[in-house]
Amino acid sequence: MNGGEKMKRRNFLKGILYGTGGTVALVGGFGTFNYLGSEKAEAASQDLETTVFSSCEMCRNQCPIAVKVKDGKVCKIEGHPNDAAFGGVICARGNAGPSLLYDPQRIKKPMIRIGERGEGKFKEVSWDEAYTYIADKLYNVKDQYGGEAIALASRKGPHDWFFRSIGKALGSPNVFSHEATCPMTRSVALETTFGNEAIAADYANTKYLISIGRNWFEGIHVAQTRAVSKALSNGAKLVVLDPRFSVTASKGEWLPIKGTTDLAFVMAMANIMIRENLYDQAFISQYAEGFDKWAEEVKDKTPEWAEQETGISKEKIIRITREFAAAKPKAILDFGWRTAYTPNDYQLRRAILIVNMMIGNLEVPGGYYTTKPANFLKSYPDQAAYAKGLGSVAQPSFPKASKGRIDGTGVKGTPGQIIPTYDGAVGKIAESILTEEPYAIRAWLVHRFNPYISLTGSTKMIEAFKKLDLLVTCDVYMTDTAYFSDVVLPECTYLERYEPIFDMSGLTPKYVIRQPAVPLVYPDTKPYWQIYKELGEKMGLGDYFKFKDMEDYITQQIAPTGLTLAQIKELGVWTPPGMNAFYVRANDSKASLDNVLSNQRKKIEIFSEEVEEATKQGVPKYISHPQPEAGKFRFVQGKVAVHTNAGTANVPILNELMPTNTLWMNTVSCKQLGLNDGDEVVISSGTYEQKGKLKMTEGIRPDSVFCYHGFGRISPELKRAFGKGIHDNYLIPHEIGEVGNAVTSTTFVTVRKA
Amino acid sequence: MAKKYSMIINLAKCIGCQACTVACKFQNKVPEGQFRTKTPANGLKGTYPNVSQYFIKEACQMCQKAPCVSVCPTKASYYNEDGVVLIDVDKCVGCKYCMTACPYDARFLNKETGAADKCTFCYELKVSKGEKPACVSTCVGGALMFGDLNDPLSEASQFLAKHKGEVRKPELGTHPNVNYIYEGVVK
Repeated sequence: MNGGEKMKRRNFLKGILYGTGGTVALVGGFGTFNYLGSEKAEAASQDLETTVFSSCEMCRNQCPIAVKVKDGKVCKIEGHPNDAAFGGVICARGNAGPSLLYDPQRIKKPMIRIGERGEGKFKEVSWDEAYTYIADKLYNVKDQYGGEAIALASRKGPHDWFFRSIGKALGSPNVFSHEATCPMTRSVALETTFGNEAIAADYANTKYLISIGRNWFEGIHVAQTRAVSKALSNGAKLVVLDPRFSVTASKGEWLPIKGTTDLAFVMAMANIMIRENLYDQAFISQYAEGFDKWAEEVKDKTPEWAEQETGISKEKIIRITREFAAAKPKAILDFGWRTAYTPNDYQLRRAILIVNMMIGNLEVPGGYYTTKPANFLKSYPDQAAYAKGLGSVAQPSFPKASKGRIDGTGVKGTPGQIIPTYDGAVGKIAESILTEEPYAIRAWLVHRFNPYISLTGSTKMIEAFKKLDLLVTCDVYMTDTAYFSDVVLPECTYLERYEPIFDMSGLTPKYVIRQPAVPLVYPDTKPYWQIYKELGEKMGLGDYFKFKDMEDYITQQIAPTGLTLAQIKELGVWTPPGMNAFYVRANDSKASLDNVLSNQRKKIEIFSEEVEEATKQGVPKYISHPQPEAGKFRFVQGKVAVHTNAGTANVPILNELMPTNTLWMNTVSCKQLGLNDGDEVVISSGTYEQKGKLKMTEGIRPDSVFCYHGFGRISPELKRAFGKGIHDNYLIPHEIGEVGNAVTSTTFVTVRKA
Repeated sequence: MAKKYSMIINLAKCIGCQACTVACKFQNKVPEGQFRTKTPANGLKGTYPNVSQYFIKEACQMCQKAPCVSVCPTKASYYNEDGVVLIDVDKCVGCKYCMTACPYDARFLNKETGAADKCTFCYELKVSKGEKPACVSTCVGGALMFGDLNDPLSEASQFLAKHKGEVRKPELGTHPNVNYIYEGVVK
């Protein structure tokens, strides 16, 4: 190939890239990738590369990013260089953003189902037709069954203000986030212990870090992963309890704990700390209440007992507890960030918080802290100057729902009392569709959430989808749930839209913008705020969407901060200039925590009246869950660094890096079953079976098997991910835990050669 | 003064997250299915429960005595003024001699250009402008460092003064400019 031919090829491909929707499909899996000139030509190009500061959405964490745009295309994404927590760094998923943006497999037009559910037959329609269809169906359901027969579920995020307005305006109380499939048990524990969910860990400054399944190096949150990495570089010790040898485990001391026995380890820590007088009595007596009840509860939770339960030797339990206590208060027993292991997982999370409080690590460097948004700072005279809070866009009040929620959230004297009302027990939707208890859900709106993959009991989920009068999914791909929907609405990606300013406050206030880096790649896709505003207007609910567009919305939002839209667009991320990390007890170990503890009693509630009322377990009590009998394996799951749960299996470059998952099994167990590495196997949880490929490894307990989550997709429109790998939630029977949580780790499976 | 650019890979800090892998693909427009760098796990060592593992970033080792340069019949592979091994795409005839000669399996035939391709330390697009290679600036674990070893004050020189850097396959006498730090990992 000579130089001239190369130039021709380059211009030809460039033409494709500038082409209309139809020709873009010719571009290969990497969109902008596929034209190539020599790097010299690239470097000498007259087109200036510009940078647009925005925030990522390859997962939910919304990391600040610098989007590089050249020739009108996003060519690269980097971490925001001026945010110290990120330092220009972004993970593999964040780097892969352009590959999603230019993916020809994105959905490009609104669609209405014309075949049977699950048949995959849709017709493309105009937005107006889609809105009209949804509006008619929703009003039919409302008229016939009441607004409460409409459920809404989203992956929690800034879209909720807009998305939820539709349901709330129709009088539905049944508005859910995905949180029950995520760390909701932690939120419940925080709320019932501190009256405050907004507690975070100061990993960067800690000296001793114990993970109970938390996997910072595969379940990546860039700022937290970097902070843990920094702590390790500074000599912090890391201990990891996990049935599987995760990447995080490989960076510390791995303790392959028996699944579902974590609470025994934590209670034994408390037992040792009390017996050896290693805890911070002054802290407990000043800030906490109910410690005596906890001491009573852990009295017999000796290291010897815990060794029997957990499979970790008592010597190790004692040594680790002593090391942890010796590092106080710069030590963290991590409160976790994952879907619940067991039905009563929130008690594990509460026990973890209590053991942390026993070393007095609240509001000090290297421990836990409450986030410091502007409204928090107002109470502190020397911080008040930094308290520039966001405003909001006014909305009329919503009609009162005529019935209670289907999941019992908020009902006093039941576990529902402590389920966060913002989140709810999202697993209950399918149950209520199928059983019509306490009443039937007839219509379900889903936004950027994929219950088929994210919730357990997938078979029941499909049955539930089939019974609905209306299922609407708004997403960027034809997800598995979208595939079963009546209406599919194509959202544009995060690289093409504005969003409300995101309050990302940590130890200082922090605001992050999301703004378009490029115009719409597929012109018939829309940002969510526009979709729900237009749908609301079509339904006569326009009063709930009183803003012209998102620039207007942001302008209203940031007015009180004194920032302008132009300034925040230019900066991307804003934190009050000159403000240092603020820990309430950094300089005064007896400082009041009244602003941190948002419960009525202004105490750390080791014994919680509310939990007692709701579940009769005011302090965490140990429940011994069954262990697998011979021939069966505990089924555990986890995250991988190159994918985000249900979100990225079909994103071209991430799919290329990891198109499928495998079933991990210990070498000894493989040999007992006559299985070899790479064998095709059938995994059975009784009624449900999945096929997969076996990975023989020394990195897992012999009584457990593991797979990464997010695979085994059934939507044929996810052309790269379709039919590949094991769908973990298909194997796990549907169960709703005590506080509405999904349950992931109490299922046993058998494995045989396929 | 000429530079002696070196990449330092601190294996204990690498979490195998592949941010470098993806950043490189976009920075250098590497075609689908091809990679200039990848960071696979180096296998799991030991027997349950006493196991260990690390990841090892693979890419061109930037040899100072590079077999790929010696075997190239058209002088397409060359050392630039700062000792970085580069490929002149216009001179490359795609004969693959260099791919065979490379002891690190770092080269491939770019399916878009038809020319041999590999890591360039992002020389043209980043390093020559005073920036770091794309992989280094996106490294989540903080395992990657880059700098001029001819400058004793550079971060890279300072780091190597305190830590033992090792090159891959030293017995071949290729004198790579990529240094691996094995401290804290079980080799």
